[in-house]
Amino acid sequence: MQIKEPDAPIVVKVENLVKKFGNYKALDDVSFELRQGEILGLLGPNGAGKTTAMRILTGFFPPNHGRVWIRGKDLFQNPREVKKSIGYLPETVHLYLDMRVKEFLSFVAAVKGVSHRRRNKEIDDKLSLCGLWNVRNRMIGKLSKGYRQRVGLAQAMIADPDVLILDEPTSGLDPKQIIEIRSLIRELGRQRTLILSTHILPEVSMVCDKVMIINKGRIVASGTTEELESGLSEKYEIYVVIGDPSKKEAALALLAALEGVEGQRIVEEKPEQVSVALRISKGRDPRAEISRLFVRHDIPLLEVRAAHLSLEDIFMKLVVDESSQRKF
Amino acid sequence: MRNAFVLAGKELRSFFNSWIGILVFLFFYLVAGVFFTILILSYAKISTETARQGLEAVEAMGLTRYAFGSLFLNLSLVLMLLVPVMTMRSLAEERKLQTLELLYTYPFSDFEIVWGKFLGLVWIFELLFLPTVVYAGLIKWLGGSIEWGPLLTAYLGFWLLGNAYLALGLFISSLTESQVISAIVTLTLLIVFWMLDWASIVTDGTLSQFFKTLSPLSHYREFSLGIIDLSNVVYFLFFNLYFLFMTLRSVETRNWKA
Repeated sequence: MQIKEPDAPIVVKVENLVKKFGNYKALDDVSFELRQGEILGLLGPNGAGKTTAMRILTGFFPPNHGRVWIRGKDLFQNPREVKKSIGYLPETVHLYLDMRVKEFLSFVAAVKGVSHRRRNKEIDDKLSLCGLWNVRNRMIGKLSKGYRQRVGLAQAMIADPDVLILDEPTSGLDPKQIIEIRSLIRELGRQRTLILSTHILPEVSMVCDKVMIINKGRIVASGTTEELESGLSEKYEIYVVIGDPSKKEAALALLAALEGVEGQRIVEEKPEQVSVALRISKGRDPRAEISRLFVRHDIPLLEVRAAHLSLEDIFMKLVVDESSQRKF
Repeated sequence: MRNAFVLAGKELRSFFNSWIGILVFLFFYLVAGVFFTILILSYAKISTETARQGLEAVEAMGLTRYAFGSLFLNLSLVLMLLVPVMTMRSLAEERKLQTLELLYTYPFSDFEIVWGKFLGLVWIFELLFLPTVVYAGLIKWLGGSIEWGPLLTAYLGFWLLGNAYLALGLFISSLTESQVISAIVTLTLLIVFWMLDWASIVTDGTLSQFFKTLSPLSHYREFSLGIIDLSNVVYFLFFNLYFLFMTLRSVETRNWKA
């Protein structure tokens, strides 16, 4: 993960966004800031408001309340000007199937105000950057999904926008393409500000500097990946695998009596072993104590392992456990 | 406004990249060619008949007015069939393929989207019917004389009629995701407008006047007779403005619909 300069200029500023569809609140009081060179990962279950948020940021529709500034300019006050500095890759890339790749990019370049003189160079640059050079004269409708995704990415990058908004950029790609697109995103994130949404949680820790989890239109968590992980890891779990099921009761009693153990549950019971998960309070690490105890009482100990929460666990905790509405 | 032209140019390219576009052109020229040949032959027949009877009445009507007036009057029927095919893709396909989402996020105002789409259709339409000017050359080559006045009014009228049909088709196309529905509804409405002309003939009094005022065809007919009446031009202007405005409202609905 790159270290960002704290004094990099703020590029995107979002304040108190509310979007209603009838009585349904798709977004409820969403605010955040992004600096130049930051990559924000937007997480949330389906229908959480990710796409709505992205659509507002791209000027697709205005919010009911709240404002969006891109480089200090209000998006909905001068949309035509500000939209030139935004590149957007929609959730599933929908393109004009009856246009050739180069033709389409030339259209986008013209719309985004790339001057005639620079247009050809601009298009050629993006074609080679996205690996589209060999298909530049093919009909978009005849391209495979992976190539269409790249055309989508290329159109978003035309005219070098300050802000790139990518809605699930790697969905539907094969593993090789996913790796390529991810490295392209990291590359792009060096100078630009990126917002991307994804369903693939590890992708966020791989690519993003900041994470924002949205559920039911509200931000339930935001921060760097490390912040999120440590914030929720106040309590963590230790897995203990006991080698002799007949000594289960004795072992459970020993573990329950240990200092720092707040609770325990049996994860798995097999004829030859039993796995137990212990909830441990913050700042405690009873692993050494556990192994000593087991040896002393002659209980075979197959494994003792601390499990920190991954982003996936955090996501599940925040989104699935409705009750937990934490602030970081 | 510049971006409206960019969009119109895109529409033009897309149209000719598709089979539909090529078929529309082939169909139009086939029918126009057949009509023109029949009209010339019938004019020749009428004029030799009357000449044999020692009359010169037909000459007074003029070949230009006869050929072009009738040609475009017949082509207005063909236009009724072609416009739904031309406009069905315009916005309905963008909705269906969800490419409209891209357009909304590009630096376009809603007005530019509607205007660009309409302009693109008008350009295609112009490319479609302007080459019929060669028929005027053909008449000249056959030894006939060209009257420029009626020729120009015939073209102006046909252009205005076509624009009106396209504006209506564009509006219908903006309401649905389905190209088929767009085409069928547009065709139905065009037929209803066409029948208003009949209705004005079979009724009389104010009712007849009412149908006549509404019917695009009755306003168009005077052009094909070589008459430019300002009220007819105003009618077509209002027709276009009304449907373009409705299209604009329809494009704006995304702001409150999920």
